[in-house]
Amino acid sequence: MKKSTIIIAVVIILGAFVLTSAAFTVDQTQQAIVIQLGRPVSDKLGPGLHFKLPLVQNVVFFDARILDFDAKPEEITTTDKKYMNVDSYTKWRITDPLTFYTKVRTIQGARARLDDIVRSQLRVALGRYTLIEVVSHKRQEIMDAVTKRSRELLLPYGIEVLDVRIKRTDLPAENARSIYGRMKAERERQAKQYRSEGQEASAKIKANADKERAIILADARKQAEIIRGEGDAQATKIYAESLGQNPDFYDFIRSLDAYKRGFEKNTRFILTPKSPFLKHLQ
Amino acid sequence: MNWDWDKLQKQQQGRPGGKPPSFDDFQDQLDKLKRFKLPGWKLVIPLFILLWIASGFYIVEPDEVGVVKQFGKFNRITTAGPNYHIPYPVESVLTPKVTQIRRVEFGFRSVGRPITQSFQQGVSREVKEESLMLTGDENIVSVQFIVQYMIKDAENYLFNVNDPEQTLAHAGEAAMREVIGNGKIDDALTTGKQEIQVQTRELMQRILDNYHSGLSVVAVQMQNVHPPDEVIEAFKDVASAREDKSRYINEAEAYQRDILPKARGEASRITNAAQAYKETKVRGAEGDAARFLSVLKEYDKAKDITRKRLYLETMEAILSNPDADKLIMSDDALKQSVPYLPLDKQLRRAAPKEGK
Repeated sequence: MKKSTIIIAVVIILGAFVLTSAAFTVDQTQQAIVIQLGRPVSDKLGPGLHFKLPLVQNVVFFDARILDFDAKPEEITTTDKKYMNVDSYTKWRITDPLTFYTKVRTIQGARARLDDIVRSQLRVALGRYTLIEVVSHKRQEIMDAVTKRSRELLLPYGIEVLDVRIKRTDLPAENARSIYGRMKAERERQAKQYRSEGQEASAKIKANADKERAIILADARKQAEIIRGEGDAQATKIYAESLGQNPDFYDFIRSLDAYKRGFEKNTRFILTPKSPFLKHLQ
Repeated sequence: MNWDWDKLQKQQQGRPGGKPPSFDDFQDQLDKLKRFKLPGWKLVIPLFILLWIASGFYIVEPDEVGVVKQFGKFNRITTAGPNYHIPYPVESVLTPKVTQIRRVEFGFRSVGRPITQSFQQGVSREVKEESLMLTGDENIVSVQFIVQYMIKDAENYLFNVNDPEQTLAHAGEAAMREVIGNGKIDDALTTGKQEIQVQTRELMQRILDNYHSGLSVVAVQMQNVHPPDEVIEAFKDVASAREDKSRYINEAEAYQRDILPKARGEASRITNAAQAYKETKVRGAEGDAARFLSVLKEYDKAKDITRKRLYLETMEAILSNPDADKLIMSDDALKQSVPYLPLDKQLRRAAPKEGK
């Protein structure tokens, strides 16, 4: 009984050792290859439970997910001789771990390759376009071309490039300054235009108002003269009708009235005795 | 066995000495151990097995899904509630939160709170290298925006992309810059915001789907879009110029509304004065006529005497004026005297002639 327990214990311990050193799991996010004395001896192993020979073989794991490579921003020259800082990122994946392991071995190695290839491809592609094309309508086209070319060049390393994307396109400080200068000038022009349009509209409205005022007043004066004329005409008619009944008498009394009013001040009368007024003095 | 060994030990003890007390201690320990261990084995192992089995129970919260892996390989998705998986090392489970809406800031950082918290109105700090972008009409604009996203496919989210959050941040930046680069600065600053948000969201989603990232972009919201600090004054001046323009027009209209009613008032004053003149004139004439006619009526009855009377009354009235100088000269004297007219005194010679 005691012997059997020892044997069982030993078997369990041995079994556990063999299992732990022979069986291994590959996570859903990983892929693996088995290396025997430095040489890969298996195909790509997907997620799940796998076995290897203990001691002589070991496992190398690789990330199976899409990996990110964020390149340093770099200055490139466009075809219209302008400089810009282009910041891009690359999405890539290890598709063939065997090739990958033999050619570049590690992620760091892969990054160096990516950096070389993507950088030079970007430089070549961007150099064919003008700055404004890069910034706006040719952007997608450029990224597609760079992605396609980089993919071809990196396939031999067991790497698949999914996407090279331009993240930022910034201008060096002095170029930015000249753009700011232009923006300022444009806005100043706009502001001037608004103000002078306002003044134009204002002057028109005021002039129109002045004109209307003049017309209103002139109309009123015209109307006034017509009315005054009517008054004068009516008065004349009334005088003519009444005074015409005896013009001689009107002449007489109106003259007397006129004398009364006319000789009020500073008048010197030289009367001769012949004056009818003095006839009773003689 | 032990007893045999004990006997052997005792037999081997030829002479007293060695370390009998320690040896006895050891003996005691051994006994204790045996007494303790025997029931122990029988209890611990099943307990251990029970615990191991129990460790396979797990709860999936309502806002999560369970993703079960068998030997590391994706096996199944489980839904909310209590679930069971075969314990370690066979199966393991991950429970990402799939209904939670997360949020990333671009071009600014809210101060004093982690980036993943929901938005609060608060102080934020602009990050210029992120916010400044080139537009399609070669201008530069500062765009601060947020992206809200959630996990739409837990399996893809967990297993396809190395760093989903970083991927989303890259995609957001690239997409917004591409959209802004395709538009004009005025679209970004004024009316085009809605369109830019929609386009950016769609482009981001396309990029993320291309990576099978398992993320869904819920919304892109532009927070603060303004011209760069270097030119902001000029932009503000355009706005104030627009204000000035409408102010000038308003002032002119005010002027118009001020002078025209006044002019109409003046016009009415002028015409009324004329009307007054007319009426005065006519009534004066009527009065004069009436007076003349009444006098005439009486005159016709006694012509000569009335004439005389009127003449004399008039002469009296004229000559009784103390201001008038009177001088009576004979005709001869008048003829011989040199007429001297001191004009400075403005004397007028007048001799009232007798009317007929």
